[in-house]
Amino acid sequence: MLLRASGEIAGTDLDVQAISDRGAADASGIAYADVLLAFADAVVDDDEEQLAAARARVRRELGDAQLVDAAAVASNFERMVRIADSTGIPLDPPMAVLSEELRGTLGLERFGSAANTPAQSTAERLLGPVARRTASGVLRLVGAARRLTGYA
Amino acid sequence: MAELGYDGVSVRVRDDLVDAHRRAWQRLARPGTWWTGAERVGIAAEVRAAWTCALCARRKEALSPSHADGEHDQASALPAAAVEAVHRVVTDPGRLSKPWFDELIATGLSEGHYVELIGVTVTVVSIDRFCRGLGAPLHPLPEPQSGEPSRYRPATAVSDGAWVPMIPQRNVSGAEAGLYGELPRTGNVIRAMSLVPDEVRQLRALGAVHYLSERQMIDLTAGRTIDRAQIELIAGRVSSRRECFY
Repeated sequence: MLLRASGEIAGTDLDVQAISDRGAADASGIAYADVLLAFADAVVDDDEEQLAAARARVRRELGDAQLVDAAAVASNFERMVRIADSTGIPLDPPMAVLSEELRGTLGLERFGSAANTPAQSTAERLLGPVARRTASGVLRLVGAARRLTGYA
Repeated sequence: MAELGYDGVSVRVRDDLVDAHRRAWQRLARPGTWWTGAERVGIAAEVRAAWTCALCARRKEALSPSHADGEHDQASALPAAAVEAVHRVVTDPGRLSKPWFDELIATGLSEGHYVELIGVTVTVVSIDRFCRGLGAPLHPLPEPQSGEPSRYRPATAVSDGAWVPMIPQRNVSGAEAGLYGELPRTGNVIRAMSLVPDEVRQLRALGAVHYLSERQMIDLTAGRTIDRAQIELIAGRVSSRRECFY
């Protein structure tokens, strides 16, 4: 959800489908998406040759400092997913409402850890679309204001 | 023993990452809240053993992890329940379940021991995976320090929707003042470790250098040498590949 939000505040439409489908990388609107997705996959997978190739591609196409930052982020989320899954935490309530559509788009409900989040109430389901449109509009307005004032 | 560093690596690692990793390694060797220094280093050894554990590999391939029996390739003197917890969290986190957790606790592993074990496990996973991402050798595990765990359990931790007790946002005071940082609201993934407050502190310290500081997190334009969308793309992809709903 933060990916979509970062696009909204930047005033660009990002296609988040690339998170679950690497074939959608080119259409994502994110620079070097395919290079970074290949690297993220290689960090998760156990194939050292695949990782060496992905690492070399990040260095060649983005740079050394970008490789360090990409490795730091990937390894950070190797930590965060394990905390979430091993402690059985539910989604935070505002996130559960705001991310319902996105979870459907990415097919996240099929994951076993979805069982840790209670089903949404009727009121939350009704509120969801309104809350999502409002949040999206606010982010776009804030982003536009920041760009106008040169703060972005 | 030589201090942890990245001198032989072909890319320059940011100083804040080096400092955070050094502190994490020093802390790993010290007695914690529920485990001794030797046990904490034993947990770290199990993290590394799990990647090549034959039972873990069979379970990973099985339709259900319970379909594969046997013993883990153990690398420490930790109790069997602790070894099971570390190996499963490392190799198959997406299929952990409440019944699995309840069974561990029923064997006598306390909730405090479990939360600290998770904290040590994910710290080592994170630093090891960072090294692997860069093509750097894994850091040698530190020599354990002697001493007794503090056995501190915050009185304000309560059952709050997760498998483990957590300190509610409104209850961070006294020894836990500032535990969740300066933002008015923190996520469950931070509160998840709060039964062992030092593990929350560790988590926040590593998160600030691997990902973003808390202030940067709420500024959706904040990035590093890769921009925010690129950061969130990697974050989302790793989470999705690990089948994490959160």
